Amino acid sequence: MSHWLVRFDRHGSACYVSHLDTARALQRTFARAGIALALSEGMRPKPRLSLGLPLPVGAAASDELAVVEVVGECADISAALRALRAAAARGIEPHSIAVVEAHPHPVALAATYECTLAADAAAVSAALTRFANASQAVVERVSPKGSRRLDLKEFIEEAWCRPDGDATRLGFTVRHRQDGAARPQEFVDLVAGYAGVEAVMRALYRASVTYKGLPAQGRAGQSIGAT
Amino acid sequence: MDDSAKALPHEDALPEALIDLLSRVSRPGRYVGGEFNARQKVDGHPRVVLSYPDVYEIGISNPALQILHTRLNDDSSALCERAFCPWPDMAAAMRAAGKRLWSLESYADVGDCDLWGFTLPHELTYTNILEMLDLAAVPLHAADRGDGDPIVLGGGPGTANPLPLASFFDAFFVGEVEDRLSEIVAAFAATTRAQRLTDLAAVPGVWLPGSRAPAERQVFMGFSRSLPVTEPLVPVLEAVHDRAVIEVMRGCTAGCRFCQAGMWYRPVRERPVDLVVEAADRTLAATGCDEVSLISLSSCDYSGIEAAVTAIRALRPGLRVSLPSLRIASAAVQLARLGGEQRGSVTLAPEAGTQELRDAINKGVDDESFEEAVRATFTSGFTGLKLYFMIGLPGEDESAVRAIAEMAVRAAAIAKRIARGRARLSLAVSSYVPKANTPFQWERFAGTSVLRERQALLRAAVPRGVRVSFHDIGASVVEAALARGDADASALIESAWRHGARFDGWSEKFKLDAWRAAASELGQDLDEIASRAPAGDMPWEAAITARIDRDFLIAERGKAATREQTVDCRTGACALCGACLDDVQMDVVG
Ligand code: SF4
Repeated sequence: MSHWLVRFDRHGSACYVSHLDTARALQRTFARAGIALALSEGMRPKPRLSLGLPLPVGAAASDELAVVEVVGECADISAALRALRAAAARGIEPHSIAVVEAHPHPVALAATYECTLAADAAAVSAALTRFANASQAVVERVSPKGSRRLDLKEFIEEAWCRPDGDATRLGFTVRHRQDGAARPQEFVDLVAGYAGVEAVMRALYRASVTYKGLPAQGRAGQSIGAT
Repeated sequence: MDDSAKALPHEDALPEALIDLLSRVSRPGRYVGGEFNARQKVDGHPRVVLSYPDVYEIGISNPALQILHTRLNDDSSALCERAFCPWPDMAAAMRAAGKRLWSLESYADVGDCDLWGFTLPHELTYTNILEMLDLAAVPLHAADRGDGDPIVLGGGPGTANPLPLASFFDAFFVGEVEDRLSEIVAAFAATTRAQRLTDLAAVPGVWLPGSRAPAERQVFMGFSRSLPVTEPLVPVLEAVHDRAVIEVMRGCTAGCRFCQAGMWYRPVRERPVDLVVEAADRTLAATGCDEVSLISLSSCDYSGIEAAVTAIRALRPGLRVSLPSLRIASAAVQLARLGGEQRGSVTLAPEAGTQELRDAINKGVDDESFEEAVRATFTSGFTGLKLYFMIGLPGEDESAVRAIAEMAVRAAAIAKRIARGRARLSLAVSSYVPKANTPFQWERFAGTSVLRERQALLRAAVPRGVRVSFHDIGASVVEAALARGDADASALIESAWRHGARFDGWSEKFKLDAWRAAASELGQDLDEIASRAPAGDMPWEAAITARIDRDFLIAERGKAATREQTVDCRTGACALCGACLDDVQMDVVG
């Protein structure tokens, strides 16, 4: 068995694929590429492939993580990457493989998002200042299981904005704790509310996710990027 | 942090208006395509859109659509795209935003294509066709369409009686289209709508509503020699079936008298085993599936079935081969086991409870073979057994319904003896709807009150521990009202759609009230329409020639009354059904 960290893009139509379906699509990509995934034990064995932090439906990303266990040792990782890319579905495209010594169990610490708001940059900037100066920014999350109050001040590490044509590009980093995390939409709703604009989030993009429990790529094995 | 802002790759193809809609609906992945093996063709003429009038997850798995999409894109000048019926949340969002139905490949308006082909799977999808036409801003009625509108063509099983849809379609293709695709594409060399329709009308199998010349059902005699689709579209979303599908045989001559497909797809044609195995190997590589499904109307009757299952299983370790329907015989169950399927459950379809009634429908199953098959199911390691029955069959009485429960009792006893607590037994009971071009086309539909009584009778008689599910009676009434309807049925369909009927095949979406209101608006009663039994010339005979002799159907109906069996013409004598004529002949392995 060998353990791989596979980094992949999600864009275009694939932004609308759920977390579970993305995992299934990657499993299929391995099967199409002729790379056998190890199977779990038990009555109904499942391929050993798990994804990192779920991506909100509708969001693009360029550095998503899949942890996989592959049968045997791979002599030519760049050939494997080429095979995976050729076998991939449009928009869910692996771009690097790092071989690591043991099966990692990554835990997300923080994720950085960007999105476009149909608002004037000055108004969004003022909203961010108001957020920064507030002692609390409590939002209520309602779900079929009940409601929960979250103070976004505990979850948003940093936020920035810049003009983007007529609109504004908003960026922010969400801290992930053991008890969960704020959703990007919750912060965008708050900022839009402060700025007095409609909270329509366009072009949501996850720029990065920081994990603990991941070996430094390239140290334990090979790391090959797509060219 | 500004520097970390990267190019935004996800806006590469999706139009802004579409992105807005996608953010507001459930399962947005239904509307964006992006399947494995999606063709990258960007140019071609004519632009064809193929539709299955149901939601994406159902339509994407349709084998006919896969065949046509592949053949048109790979083997013709056409550019072929797809569109499915938007779920009501999306339909509402589209109407609110003024956005028209788009294709999954180019996201361009479906209404701008040259040819819009619908496969017509069953009557309960018909309101979805109107929904799709409306969402595409294509006039509902063919008579209102002009040069800027696509030619709307229907095909598939629904063409066994195209009349209820005749008002909405410009043309129908009757039968199997594979051999005629190039002629259909060629008709679009003409630049005007009128000329295209004239050229289409000259293609064998095409019927233009209003034309007095019925179209003859086409039979694809190249079936046995052609490789099935080996690079099918595989959805990224979870679909209804996640298997590599290989069509091993077309047609079925078992001769069940209630079965429209069994009459419609005659004669039997089989693919040679080596072709099936080669197709399976290629399809597995292209799809990444770990299961092969050998499909046909009755795969156990495929002459090469055992050899094919064995050879396909040898292709890859751990590969499973499934058969969608099993004959009621212990050998068939053993075959399913050979396919590596013993983990799950088996489905058997005795259809009726008494020997008399099974003989009347020509089902050819006796109590002994039924019990043997049940025993084989559980001794083979399967833990579940699902039994399919119909109620409301011609000649059925209450004792025949009680006999269904008695079969369930016997099956439950066998299950308990062999599999003990692990066995699961369930009954799925549908209501029989008489269909066009079958020996029962002259029979009366049982109707709401009879079906209701028989459901109650059966529910009370089924032993505890056996799950029983019934098909919605209201949906069967609608199906019956349309199945043998004439051109007047189009008004009923349109009115039901205007009253909000959509996704009639989905129990949670089906609105019987909309159909009742539609019928009463037309001064009719839905149950009365459903219970009409046509006599004399059948209305659809003016539109199609099914290649099934009327004398044969009459004879089969007579034999049903006397409980007389007709043997399968593959193993017995030709029953002179009329399907085999000139170059159309039975074509079986070996
Ligand atoms: S014509 Fe005869 S051999 Fe051909 S399908 Fe009909 S019954 Fe069978």
